[in-house]
Amino acid sequence: MGSFLHRHRGVAPYLLLAPGLAWLTLFFLLPLAFLGYQSLQSGSFPNYAFTWEFSNYAKAFTDFRPQLMRSLTYAGLATALALLLAYPLVYWIAFRAGRWKNLFLLFIVAPFFVTYLIRTLAWLNILADEGPVVGVLRDVGLLADDGRLLATSIAVVAGITYNFFALMALPIYVSLEQIDHRLLEAAKDLYASPTQAFLRVTLPLSAPGIVAGTLLTFIPAAGDFINAQLLGTPQQYMLGNVIQSRFLELIDYPTAAALSFVLMATILVALLAYARVVGSEKLTG
Amino acid sequence: MNPRMTRDQLLRRGAAGLTVLSLPTLLAACGGGGGGEASGELKDVLNFANWPLYIDIDEETKERPTLNKFTEETGIKVNYFEEINDNATYFAKIQGPLSQGRGIDRDIIVLTDTERPLNVILENGWAEKLDKSLIPNIENLIPAQQSPPFDPDREYTLPWQSGMTGIAWNPKLTEPVRSISQLLDDPNLKGKVTMLSGFADSVGLVMLDNGDDPSAFTDESFQRAVDRVQAAVDSGQIRRFTGNDYAEPLSRGTIAAAVAWSGDIVQLKLDNPDLEFAIPEAGGMIWTDNMMIPLGGSVPTASTFMNFVYDPVNMAAIAAYVNYIPPVAGVKEVILETDPELASNQLIFPDEETLGRLHQIDAAAIGNEEYLAQWQSVIGA
Amino acid sequence: MSATTAGPAVVTSRLGTGARVWRFVKRHTLTAYAALAFAYLMLPIAVVILFSFNDPLGRFNYVWQGFTLDNWRNWDGVLGLREAVTTSLEIAALSTVVATALGTLMAMAIVRHHFRGRGTANVLVFLPLATPEIVLGASLLSLFITAQVATGFWTIFVAHVMFIVSFVVVTVKARLVGFDRHLEEAAMDLGADELTTFRKITLPLLAPAILAGALLGFAISIDDFVITYFVAGPTQTFPLFVWGAARVAVPPQVNVIASAIFLIAVTIAVVNVIIASLRAGRRQQGA
Repeated sequence: MGSFLHRHRGVAPYLLLAPGLAWLTLFFLLPLAFLGYQSLQSGSFPNYAFTWEFSNYAKAFTDFRPQLMRSLTYAGLATALALLLAYPLVYWIAFRAGRWKNLFLLFIVAPFFVTYLIRTLAWLNILADEGPVVGVLRDVGLLADDGRLLATSIAVVAGITYNFFALMALPIYVSLEQIDHRLLEAAKDLYASPTQAFLRVTLPLSAPGIVAGTLLTFIPAAGDFINAQLLGTPQQYMLGNVIQSRFLELIDYPTAAALSFVLMATILVALLAYARVVGSEKLTG
Repeated sequence: MNPRMTRDQLLRRGAAGLTVLSLPTLLAACGGGGGGEASGELKDVLNFANWPLYIDIDEETKERPTLNKFTEETGIKVNYFEEINDNATYFAKIQGPLSQGRGIDRDIIVLTDTERPLNVILENGWAEKLDKSLIPNIENLIPAQQSPPFDPDREYTLPWQSGMTGIAWNPKLTEPVRSISQLLDDPNLKGKVTMLSGFADSVGLVMLDNGDDPSAFTDESFQRAVDRVQAAVDSGQIRRFTGNDYAEPLSRGTIAAAVAWSGDIVQLKLDNPDLEFAIPEAGGMIWTDNMMIPLGGSVPTASTFMNFVYDPVNMAAIAAYVNYIPPVAGVKEVILETDPELASNQLIFPDEETLGRLHQIDAAAIGNEEYLAQWQSVIGA
Repeated sequence: MSATTAGPAVVTSRLGTGARVWRFVKRHTLTAYAALAFAYLMLPIAVVILFSFNDPLGRFNYVWQGFTLDNWRNWDGVLGLREAVTTSLEIAALSTVVATALGTLMAMAIVRHHFRGRGTANVLVFLPLATPEIVLGASLLSLFITAQVATGFWTIFVAHVMFIVSFVVVTVKARLVGFDRHLEEAAMDLGADELTTFRKITLPLLAPAILAGALLGFAISIDDFVITYFVAGPTQTFPLFVWGAARVAVPPQVNVIASAIFLIAVTIAVVNVIIASLRAGRRQQGA
């Protein structure tokens, strides 16, 4: 097998890709094609007919622009926030946690084990208007006396940040962890200040992790609806909420499908813009 | 007549509590609801899809006494699926096979009359007709439930449990809130109010407050209601639209008043006895979860089960556990003997006067896409 | 903790006193920050654990009423909860293993090779992340219905592998991009074939990335609600159970189970570290 691969190097990538690609084709692309078909239907439930109804897309773009913009803004903010919060933490794990590394990684994903609803209920408890956090913020003057955290954009962005934290942290950890300590020492030997060493050595070497973490956080965050629903108000609703309501409440499958493609397309455009900034090679590996 | 009807099945039907086998009974039983042979046969298994924690459970044995009793009495085993988490999502899940005219492998499902799916299923003929000859206990159905707008003769649906929609408030934070006007206009409540995101619950209450009839929508009366809610959203009076997630903030005092469901308040009051609930002076809404037989379900099997739960003794066992409003007359009397306190709870056994002030939502309005779209945009999506 | 023994400390002697103080502050600032960050991550879990000891009077477990061990003693008291949790754990374990294998291979292909369709493969990996769960779940269900596949355990498994795979690919790629290939080349030069090189060199170096990807996959699988709901058929998973129960009220036993999963996972991780260091110690003594 090994020598076979060696002789047929051109085949190797396809062999490596085949199982995963087959899985994604069958269970993702095929349903996606169905979704595309649905997005061009017209009529009313249950009598939708395929009519190349491109106006569904026009409608999706024009009618729900505020929610689309909010999806991008909130996801962007939450991604930036998660990056700022996660980087020093995983830096500490990678360089200071020694053999306890895996335990701390476990702590990072642990919130997932308590199921979304339960941990959000816990946050509702913590951030409640009479709760400790709001009390402290009011005392130190960061919040007005009648100010609140719940049902604001702040709560929604904070909720997204919290819930997608692990998606940012783990990829960064993965690239920090492989940095050779000798490189950092070499930098110090060359009289680089710790800040310089960090900026010139550590940060560039962890760039692939930052890129990966940013993607894993931003993409699902842009499609999120649950944080806005539970921690926000209608004024915070994102495109995911619209899709949810079109699909479930209005049983308007064509619009829901078209909105989904609009969301996907927007995210891809955002990714391309991001790729131009960070360099496409980092994005595509 | 169905040639497959065997003597054995006839006997089993006798065991199911059917004392007189008249010819019309048999005709009705064999005719089914037009769903083919499967629908007309009595089976020895009932596939029952219900909401979680919505039937009595014996905490010791971890069994469901009512279902066991049913099996003992009829020989019909029950496969009980707690798979309905909310109407809309469950509907999204089952609409595919139903719209292709296929069954969903369930004999009974339970859906809420204030939400669209139940109405869509009825409109499209995706439900089998009940075999009332197998449900003599239907005579115990309380009068208020006998003729709902969506199924005036109760041909397809029978109530499982009901609840009232009214206003709940926390007396520590506010004066009693006995009207929607107060809820939407009282400046002391600004930002301390939630409304239910359910169209029927919230629009219905506001319409009553406007002096309109929520059982018969007009474009004007709907618009009046929606405009009022929108104004309260814009002014910041309404903090959020919720499902039953208003319960925690109301109990804690994060919000002062909410459009709320009676069943939740029964539970909340155990933790926080101060909480109050009232049907607004202008009237309240009632919602009902209804049993129905989806396309391809076994009509005789399902009907036999419905008859069983419409026996007040059996319904009492369920009601004592789930604490919603049972639709069966005589339940209160049964519970009075075992648990007088429960029987006197006005939220579970409302008196005639209260029941008389409750209204059912216009079935056509729930299916009106323009209304729904407009409501969805008011609540933000 | 081993924080104080980290490598770069050797160079301190060359620095002045002021710099030394600065280093001290900086080192402990970072550690203090890490402690704060973990507190932030653990805060809701602490609340969940706390409320697993609550003794609510009604069905809502929201307001602290009093301490009790009853919920823990009676952890299995809620019908169907244990089955739901078991199913969730099985599906998470199974789909993580499969998705990690598939994802690692895909990441290797995409990073290591230049081939026709590489860009397409790359975009394809991102797309599932960008698709709203609700439409993904619904269209997957229509696929299963059309193909007349009965939904249940295995359809959940298939769906979970599908959406976990992307997370694994992206995570492993992050490691492969900065991968030092000289070690592999050296091994090959010393006569190791590709498989041996992969097993002895590549895999161990990739291990942290694979572990991280698997952890992510497991966490996402065990937490998924929307897609699972559509493809679950009559099967109940832990999140489905909780969302369902929420209509009435989430029983405190759910807090018990969630706390238990967390505590067991932590215990396993701690025991692992201890065993590993005991072994390392013995090896050192032997040498």
